Amino acid sequence: MTLTPHSRPPEALTEKPTHYCPGCGHGIAHKLIAEAVDKLDIRGRVIGTAPVGCSVLAYFYMNFDVVEAAHGRTPAVATGIKRAAPDKIVFAYQGDGDLAAIGTAETIHAANRGEHIAVFFINNAVYGMTGGQMAPTTMEGQRTSTSPDGRDVETMGPPIRMCELLNTLDRPYYIERVAIDGAAGVRKARKAVHTAMQCQVEGKGYCFVEILSPCPTYQRLSPVDALGFVGENMKSVFPTRVFRKNGEVVDA
Amino acid sequence: MLERVLIAGSGGQGILLIGRILARAGMLCVPHVTYFPAYGAEVRGGTSNCQIVLSDEEIHSPVPDQFEAMLILNQESAKRFLPRRSDTTRVVLNTSLCDVTDSDSLTTIPATDIANDLGEIRCANFVMMGAYLASSNCVPAEALEECIRMELAGKPPALIDLNIEALEIGLNHER
Amino acid sequence: MAERVLMNGNTALGEAAIRAGCDCYFGYPITPQNELTSYMATYMPPNGRVFVQAESELAAINMVYGASAAGKRAMTSSSSPGISLKQEGISTLAGAELPAVIVNVQRGGPGLGNIAPAQADYFQAVKGGGHGDYRQIVLAPDSVQEMHDLTFDAFDLADAYRGPVMILTDGRLGQMMEPFELRPAVTPGTDKPWAVTGAAERDPNLVRSLYLVVEELEQLNLRLQAKYREIESREVRVEERMTDDCDILLVAYGSSARACKGALNEARAKGYKVGLLRPLTLWPFPSARIRELAAKVKTIIVVEMSAGQFIEDVQLAAEFQTEVLLENRLGGFVPEQRDILKRVEGLSKC
Repeated sequence: MTLTPHSRPPEALTEKPTHYCPGCGHGIAHKLIAEAVDKLDIRGRVIGTAPVGCSVLAYFYMNFDVVEAAHGRTPAVATGIKRAAPDKIVFAYQGDGDLAAIGTAETIHAANRGEHIAVFFINNAVYGMTGGQMAPTTMEGQRTSTSPDGRDVETMGPPIRMCELLNTLDRPYYIERVAIDGAAGVRKARKAVHTAMQCQVEGKGYCFVEILSPCPTYQRLSPVDALGFVGENMKSVFPTRVFRKNGEVVDA
Repeated sequence: MLERVLIAGSGGQGILLIGRILARAGMLCVPHVTYFPAYGAEVRGGTSNCQIVLSDEEIHSPVPDQFEAMLILNQESAKRFLPRRSDTTRVVLNTSLCDVTDSDSLTTIPATDIANDLGEIRCANFVMMGAYLASSNCVPAEALEECIRMELAGKPPALIDLNIEALEIGLNHER
Repeated sequence: MAERVLMNGNTALGEAAIRAGCDCYFGYPITPQNELTSYMATYMPPNGRVFVQAESELAAINMVYGASAAGKRAMTSSSSPGISLKQEGISTLAGAELPAVIVNVQRGGPGLGNIAPAQADYFQAVKGGGHGDYRQIVLAPDSVQEMHDLTFDAFDLADAYRGPVMILTDGRLGQMMEPFELRPAVTPGTDKPWAVTGAAERDPNLVRSLYLVVEELEQLNLRLQAKYREIESREVRVEERMTDDCDILLVAYGSSARACKGALNEARAKGYKVGLLRPLTLWPFPSARIRELAAKVKTIIVVEMSAGQFIEDVQLAAEFQTEVLLENRLGGFVPEQRDILKRVEGLSKC
């Protein structure tokens, strides 16, 4: 097949086929970031940080400098890079376990300092890499290998809402939650990712984009039903909207 | 020459400050010097002490087990440290705040009262230092004065002069 | 002539880091190393360098990892419990082959222990500490001058061998003031082709310690081990005193070695033939030299502020050629000169 210029993959992506499961949201999220990198023409000065989780191998697919971080430490590593090299564009790519469980302190404090980094938070309500365990964002009643009878909020707490939590801080510049739940959702996600990266180019400050994402394998659904799970179930708990814009809180 | 000095009192009496100044002055005229402060939780709750060693030879421990001199600024420190003095330890005791004890080599001086009369109770530490210098010949008073100016550089000149005046009163105090 | 100044060990080390070209310092408060963090907070920014007080030791070591990945000289410091928290990051630095300087101003343990000086983190420092097969160069100063000097060496060694280097010191050396000579500032080289600096005119760089393919991870490990053998063959450093004719050899590092120096002088004055070997590098360990001396001396006395950690390496090196005895204090005490002397005198009576 000959690729038309319109469908050519972003330069910021490598040609390596991903290891992600069919219907996984990571590939889409990677592409959205790569598109923003291309569009802003920053491939030569962007530095990504990859987390521990399914997307730990993201660096094989991203065609620019990447640093892998220990589990949860991604925002601290990104802080170190950005402080050491302020002229670079630095982003952290993190899953729900990385960002909202083991690395919660790093997440909150990087946001509170207003580090000039973009954080892309892939929330699929489950641990993928380790085999479908309960995530801090697992839905109430959702069955996982460590909540076999469904998440019981009495003993496991309810899913944690990171956008809302970070929005209580003074320093974040931009916070938005989007959802990969269909073509319209992806278009909104593309715009949010681009905004966060553009803010970095403009030196605006800390940006946080939460991307609700399908994981058919461990959400235990077909790829199509997983999109529905994201668009209906997850969005009912994690409303998609802009929480912070230009440093100002946006009311619901 | 070996001069091991303990300075002890309460927090706020400027114990560590005069200790550092003595170490600094020692550095000008003695080959080897160490200074070791009590730190962290040890100085919470109001006590403070430091140890200075001035020596012709290499110093192995900055925390000696014997002292040639002790400057004791409050009763709590007197209770804690005086039992550790030897027969030859020269003790300078702030009688404004300490009970007088018997000792062959005791210098008593009401340092806090003297400082109060000078109008600045916080310079009792320099009165004590002056009284110590009078009993010791390892650091000349001029070197100490010079180091007071160095250590307090940036502070109001009047305060520096007052501290030096306190030092001289201590130096010339009738024992 | 070099400028002679009076500072405590913690700040002398901090000033050395600045003069050695440390670009970034990340730390979290803990006694007895707080003067160092404060010094860096005060003097790094005016020198155009980066200082961040991190939210934890975990965050601090990972900020070091990020800054080092970006090609900068980076340092963190802490004391024993905080160093335990940094172990994940130190292992990751070793795996990713990133230079970094980590300062451990040791205090008493285990657990929260106390804030008095100790050497109980010896195993943790020289045997790895974190997970996986890795080593870090461990430097052990015994004076404020060496707190200053060895910091320059730590940065150079970290860059030369691309890995973490630890300065293992203790609360006494951190807190004590001593006159020392300031070393002039240096401008370190910036040739780090592996660093993430933006893939503008080259293929992308990747900094990682994850190798899911076992063949690849074995290759990394073999490369690391080859590097460690090279370090062992080139970087061992010791100080020796009166080892030429000694019957009794004291072996100690850091604050323990200072006490030994006093005991050595006193013992010699009394006619005892005592010598001292003091490793400046705890890893690589001076095994060959200790083996050599063990063949000559009657007794080795290992003096340490730990419960028989350091002695294990001395025993391994001595290879049962002579008796190796332990003289130690625990819980925050520093061995006293008189106790070491007593031990020497006791031996000779037997």
